Formats: sequence, C-alpha cells, structure tokens
Amino acid sequence: MIHVRNLQKTYKDIQSGQFTALAGISFDAMPGQIYGLLGPNGAGKTTALRILSTVLKPSGGSAVVNGFNVIDQPEQVRRQIGFVSCNTAIYDRMTSWELVQYFGQLYGMPLDRLHSKMNALFERFQMNEIRDVLCSKMSTGMKQKVSIVRAMIHNPPVLIFDEATSGLDILVAREVLKTVEQLRDQGKCIVFSSHIMSEVKRLCDRVAIMNRGVILAEGTPTYLAEKHQENDMEELFYQLISRSEAQLESNKNAEVPPHNLTLPLAN
Amino acid sequence: MNWPTIKLIFRRELRDQLRDRRTLFTVAIMPMLLYPLMGMAMMQVAQFMRESPSRVWIVGEEKLPASPPLIVGGKFNSTFGETESQLIELIGSSAGDGHFESLVKSATSDSDDSSSVEEIIRQEMQKRKMDLAIFIPNQIQIPEHSGPDTATEGQLSTPASATQVFVLTDSAIDKSRIASERVNRILNEWSKEFSKETLVANEIPTSMIQGVVFTTGDVANKTGKQAAAWSKILPFIIMIWSLTGAFYPAIDLCAGEKERGTFETLLSSPAARSEIAFGKLLTVMTFSMATSFLNLLSMGFTGIFVLTKLGAGMGAGGPLPIGIPPLASLGWLLLALIPISALFSAVALAAAAFARSSKEGQYYLVPLLMISMPLMMIPMLPAAELDFGTSLIPVSGLMLLLRSLIEANYTDCLKFAVPVCAINLACCWLAVRWVIHQFNSETVLFRASERFGIGAWLKHIMRERRSLPSLGSAILCGVVILVAKFFIGFAVTAPQNFGQFALQTVIILVATIFIPSVMMALFLTRNPKKSLRLNGCKLTMAAAAILAAIFLNPAFTWLTGLIMHIYPPSGDMLMLQEAVSRILGSAPGLWAIILIFALAPAVFEEIAFRGFILSGFQSIKGKWKPILLTSLMFGLAHGIIQQTMITFVVGLVLGLIAIQTKSILPCILFHLTHNSLAVLLSQANRTVVEQSPVLRQYLYSTDGQNYQYATFPAILMSFVGVMLIIWFLQLDTKPSNRSEAYGRVPHPN
Repeated sequence: MIHVRNLQKTYKDIQSGQFTALAGISFDAMPGQIYGLLGPNGAGKTTALRILSTVLKPSGGSAVVNGFNVIDQPEQVRRQIGFVSCNTAIYDRMTSWELVQYFGQLYGMPLDRLHSKMNALFERFQMNEIRDVLCSKMSTGMKQKVSIVRAMIHNPPVLIFDEATSGLDILVAREVLKTVEQLRDQGKCIVFSSHIMSEVKRLCDRVAIMNRGVILAEGTPTYLAEKHQENDMEELFYQLISRSEAQLESNKNAEVPPHNLTLPLAN
Repeated sequence: MNWPTIKLIFRRELRDQLRDRRTLFTVAIMPMLLYPLMGMAMMQVAQFMRESPSRVWIVGEEKLPASPPLIVGGKFNSTFGETESQLIELIGSSAGDGHFESLVKSATSDSDDSSSVEEIIRQEMQKRKMDLAIFIPNQIQIPEHSGPDTATEGQLSTPASATQVFVLTDSAIDKSRIASERVNRILNEWSKEFSKETLVANEIPTSMIQGVVFTTGDVANKTGKQAAAWSKILPFIIMIWSLTGAFYPAIDLCAGEKERGTFETLLSSPAARSEIAFGKLLTVMTFSMATSFLNLLSMGFTGIFVLTKLGAGMGAGGPLPIGIPPLASLGWLLLALIPISALFSAVALAAAAFARSSKEGQYYLVPLLMISMPLMMIPMLPAAELDFGTSLIPVSGLMLLLRSLIEANYTDCLKFAVPVCAINLACCWLAVRWVIHQFNSETVLFRASERFGIGAWLKHIMRERRSLPSLGSAILCGVVILVAKFFIGFAVTAPQNFGQFALQTVIILVATIFIPSVMMALFLTRNPKKSLRLNGCKLTMAAAAILAAIFLNPAFTWLTGLIMHIYPPSGDMLMLQEAVSRILGSAPGLWAIILIFALAPAVFEEIAFRGFILSGFQSIKGKWKPILLTSLMFGLAHGIIQQTMITFVVGLVLGLIAIQTKSILPCILFHLTHNSLAVLLSQANRTVVEQSPVLRQYLYSTDGQNYQYATFPAILMSFVGVMLIIWFLQLDTKPSNRSEAYGRVPHPN
C-alpha cells in the first residue's frame, strides 16, 4: 500500500547551509496494518508524513501510495489519503457539518452520497450535538473528532495520523486510538506517528524508530523487543536514541557527514 | 483548472470572511459610520470657524479721513464688506479695550518714531492678544491735484503724496491669515472708494481711471464641471479603498491560514494550487469591490449632504462648485472597479502569500502602500494626461483611463484602452503566478523564523554561489542598472563639447552597467568567465553576426520609423536630439562618434545584458523566456519609451545569437555594426551618397538630409537577414548540464 525507498529531504538553512531532515529512509506499510513512526522531536516523522501527503517534495528517493507516486501523481495520491495533524487544523468560523461537507465536495463527492456518509459518521462519532456548532466554540477533543471525520469522509484507503493524540486528554486520546484500531480493522492502511510509547506498543503492527532523519530500528514490537532484548518499549527507545546521539557526536568530531551514520543495533 | 472547485473554495472563503467580525466591520460598518461621523465633525469645525471673530487692532484710528468712513460705531463699515465686518472685532479703538488705547497713547507720546509702535504691535501679537494690526502713522487726507508728477523713474512705486498704512499679520498663525483675508477685502473696497472721492475732489472724472476690462467666461456646462471635479477625486478614492479592502482579507486567507494550520489540510486535499489561488483571489476581489463600493456610497451621500449644508450656510458665497457626480461617471466607476480590484487583490494576495503570519503580512502593507500611493497620485497632477507613456504605468494608466471615461473623453479612452488593460492584466497575471508559486514553495509554507545576521547572510551567499548566476542575481543586476541610471541622471550636467559628452557617456556606461555586472559575476558566481559568456567563437559565427546586423539594418530602421510615427517624440526628446546633434558637430571625426555611440555600448551593454543577466535568466527552462526577459530589461535600461521599444526588438536578436553561439563576442560585433550603421545613416549627406555608386542604389532622401533605405533593397536585405537568423537558430546547441551549472539537485526522477 505504501512503499518508501531511500526517501531524502534537505532544507536550505541560512545558518548551517543545509539541514537534512530525512537522510534516506525506507519502509513498507500494508492494508489492515498500523505502521508506527516513533521518534523524538525533530526526528523527521512529520517531514516523512508531509511527503506522503504531497505537501512537501522529496529531495531524493521515492514514495508510492496505493500505486501512485508522490512526485509524479500528487493529485491521485491526495485522493488516496486522509491526513490528520496534531494541531486539529480546522476552520474556526465553520460548523463541523459545513467543514466536513466542504472537504467532501473538494473530493468531488455527490451531495446525496456525501450527506448519507456524513450522517453515518456523525452518528458513529456522536457528533450530532455539535453539528451546527462553530469549530471555534469546540473543545480540543471535539475539534480532533471533526478533523478525523474530515479525513475519513471520502473513505480513503490510507490514513495518516501525525501525532494525532498530542494535547488531548486521556479520554479523548483513548477514543481517537479506538477509532484508529477500528479503521485498521476495516482494512485501511494507517501510518501513525507519535512519541508516546504506550500508544505505539498498543496500536502498531510495525514500528520504525527514527532519530535525526534515519530509521534506527524497524519491525514488529515483538521482534524489536526480542532483537534488542528489551521488553520495555520506552527503555528500548531511550537506548537506541542515546546510542544514536553518541554515535553522531563521535562522527561529528571525526567530521563524518551525518547521513553516513551507522549504528550497532544489536547488542 | 476545475471551476466547480474554484467556486467551492470561493464560497467557503467568502462565508468564512463574512463570519469574521473584523472583516465585516472594515468592509461594511466602518464606511457607514466613518463618513457620517467625519461629516458631522467637519460641520462642527466649519461652524466653529465661522463663529470665531478676528481680533484687529487699529493704531492711529484718528488719522483716518472722515470720508469715506472706514469705521462706524466701533466696527468696520459694513458697506465695504457686510460678512467680513461682522466677523471682525476691533480692539484698541474707541469701542475696544482700554489697555491697547493706553499703550498707543504711551507709544505716540513718548516718541514720534513709528518703530516704537511697530515694536509694541509685534510684542502684543506674539502674546496672541490680537490676530492682526493696522498701523496708520500719518494723517490720511484726500490729496489735492498739484500738476504733473515730478517723480523720477524708479520712484514711481511710492509717490511722495501716497499715504502708507501698515497691515501687520503673523503668517505662522492660521487665525492671523484668516483675519488678513477678511481685513484686506474691506481695505480694498475702502481704498477704491477713497480713490473715487479723491478724483471727485480734484474734479477728475472717475471714468479716467478705467483701463482694460477683462470679462471672464466659462464655457463648461454644469455636468462637465461636476464631472471634471469628480474625475480626480473618485478614481483616487476607489483605488485607495480597493487596496485597503483587499489587503486584510488577503492576509487572513493566506498568512492567517498558515498560522492556524488549516493551510496544510487544504494543500493535502485534491484541490490544485492554482484552484486554491483563484478561489482565494475571487474572495479577496469580492471584499475589495465591496469595501470600495460601500465607501464610495457612504462618502458620496455624506459629502453631498455636508456640501449642501455648508454651501447654504455660506450665504453670499453660494453653494460650492461641486455637486452630485454625473450618473455616467458612477457607471464607469462601477465598471472600472472590477479590473482595479482584480489588480489590487492579486498584488495583496501575492504579498500575503509570502508572509508566514498575519503580523508579518501587515508589515508588507506599508511598502505596498508606499509603492501604490505615488502611482495613484500621478493622475491627480493637473498636467497628467492619458498618453502612450502613462498608459504603460500600472495603476496610473488605469486611473487616467477612468478619469478620461468620467470626463467623457472617449477618443483617448479608445486609443489607450488596449495598452492600459494589457499592462494591468499582465501585472494581475504575474501576481497570480507568484501566488501559485508561493503555494508551491515549501520554504514559504513551512519556513520558521530564522535569526538574520548580515554575517550569516553573506556567508550563506558565498556558500550557495553557483557556477552561473541565479535568477535572483539576474533580476538584481537589472534593477541595480536601472536604479543607477536613474540616479546618475541627476548627477550629470549638460555637456558643452564632444570631449565632455564622450567622457560622460563612457563613465555612465562603466559605472551603471559594466561595474555592477562584473562585480556581481565575481562575487555571486563561481565561474565569472562563463557567467559573462566570455567564450571564444568560430569565425563563421562572428562573420554571420556582422552580416546579420548589416542585412537586418533596413528592417530595424523601418521599425524605428514606424515607432516614431505612431508615438512621435516629445518636445523634450527633440530638444535633446538637437543638442546631441550640435555636440556631434564638434566631434574630431566619424571614428570618435562610432567609438562612443557604437563600440562603448556594444562592449559594456553586451557584458551586462547578454553576459550576466541572460546567464541568470537561463536558469528558467526554455530558450525564449530568458531572451524575452533580458530584452525587456535591455529595453527598459534605455529610458525613453520609443528607444525602449526599438532596443527590445534588437535585444531579442542579440539574445538569440548569445544563446546559440554561447559567446558574447558575436553579440558585441552585431551590436557594434548595428549602432555604427545607425550613426553612418544619420551622418549621411548628399555629397557622400551621390559620389558612391553603391549607396546611390540603396539610399534615398526626400530632403537631401535624412536618408532612408530604398524599398526593394530593404526587402531583399531583410530577407537575407532573416536567413542568417535561421542559420543561427539551426546551430547545434548541445544542452549543457543545467543541474550542475545552476547548482540544482538532480530530480529524483
């Protein structure tokens, strides 16, 4: 469903000249699977997801979403995905109903089909009470619900959640995670980025642990635990990141470019 | 582009803006409140101004003649100005304050010197005790006729018998200026009456002083006068408000959306960037038009009401000479609102798309206003009129066209509507392209605030240098040349002889064209030689360039004639040409003229334009866009509009030769030959032509002075010239490694 190969992204920076956000990452995410991107702030998770959603163009490598290349076929890719970001990103001066309808129309859905789909989703997410409420009057949890419904309205085969539970209270966060699980069970391919270990351990079928634009480790949570002989996901994450930082520091002293980083992953 | 998607985005943005209280206030509520409030304030002020009397002190009132009486009952005689006399309060007179009376007495009793009285007046005026003072030093009486005037020439301005009255005001104080206007009107009338009585007393008929009577008349009808008055005000008002009305929604729709994070969501939807841009543009345009229209409406109603009231209150002055704008002018305004709003909306959207936050967006408002204001002010000047030159100025041309439409000057409108619309549409199109480009630009969409320092920036420039100049460097070089040429124009003085002229020309070429381009090539590129296209070329290419210049010369000469016929040179330009011809007469020889007019520009201009600037523009894909842009800049650098058009066309050929031969050497040869032929043709005279059997076949003249190419040889030569251009076109231009040259990272494909 999603095939990422040697994906690279560099930004120009007036201070340092060039900043490498992604130094060549590769992974595959399949339908009915939640693929977790795990990493600290600045690891490159959001950059990778923005490339998958065609908002950014890669500097190198390739990414294919449901058979469409993000570079050559961005419009087709955008029809295959639903994107939920951490900052809810909804229009304050629209009601939840208007907002979802607007995006449904942008995806070219006929009004009758759109309305029946909207009715079903509003019912399922218990949003009928807020359908005529302006988004500016909603709580963060409600806004995130609207954002998820907005991303699902065109029934995309791929859903991208970029730190979607960030800033939510535990009740709403659980509801979001439950929704993500349900979507996975419906056969959707889900890419889920987070830096909360418990979420990743509970949800993800496969995980890629990232730091500074590279994937340090990749596999199922069980496989990673066995490989690194560490059952505690948080501890495993901490060890990998610490080693990566130490390695980067020594490479920096030896003036080795960061994308040449190699890590001893196994103990 | 998908129009239903644009319509969808437009409707959403419109609804969104209509739900924003700030926008609604700015667009609808403010105009409805602003003007009535301003009108009320104006009426209040006007009322206050009418009721405020001027305080006038007369020193030496007793020296006034009994007839005609200037002061009656402690006030100015109302016969000499009824309204004015009511608005003047006399102090220091018999009806005035005792303080002034005692001051006068002390001053006149202490000394006979009038300067002491003037000093007292000055001091009292500084203390704001009065607005104006009249000082009568000597007794005024009707003089008696005493034979012919014996005053010698030079003393006529102050005849011995003239009585002086001093009227002292303080021009730094408004009240004093108003008092001066009022008092002068009364004094003038009184003076006329005094003169009449003098004539009567001396038994001279008053008709003796009647000179030439000037009777003024105004042939304009009422509608025409009103249209003329409104034609200057209304276009300016709608321009200002359409820009203001466009800017705030534009900031909210671009920078605001980036700030709120909704832009990313929109960009990940199937809507294309161009559809998003057009949807937003339509929204901004709607608000721009609505703001302008509502302001116009509110201001119109308030203005008419206030003017009517003020006019009625003026009494003798009657209503002010400005009434309700003619209906036709309102129609033209509404029609013109569409292109005006489109232009400003596109420009505002372009500026707002670049901003990463609403706050940053507002910073861009000031420079945008600074650029727009002078363009809006030009048409307000009395001398400004719609001609080809002004029609090419964005905004100004549009405003002048609108002015002409309101004044019902349809002939000019028809003549210049096409260039005005074309230039403004082009600006609009460029702005929309810029917006789409901004929506595609990651650095604009996701850039974070960077700490900016000159050192870091310079390091960045040096580090990011490419082999060849970037597009930005090319534009910068062109702008530097244009600005430098503009400023050096103020510094130079008119040369007196050929030597001065030659030196001045070379200095201008070197300082404004050669040095900027070479410096930029040295500091902004890694390969200055390649950037300036300082490559050798085959002998055939050099020869073909010279031949092309020779054979295309009749075509260029014909084009020059055509342009001069359509857009005749202005008086200033003719004077300049005449001055140059005069100076050329003192040249040591033809070689010197060719050196200055042909060789120097050929070398310096080719290095800058076909060298650095064209190399920079070549970072744009394709062959013709870089040539077109370079030629445009080359034309603009020549300043005079007719010359701009001619050099633009010559620049196209030069650009083509530069790209096809990858060297500026053939360009220099073409330029040198082209300019030399122009010089030779201008210097050709009957003796030279008649003596040459070849020239006799090719040139003819109707007046024996100005020679032109004969038709048949001209067509034949042009055909050969075109063949040579085709030869250049078929030259093998193996594409160089563009990515490497311009420092681009190869695309993943």
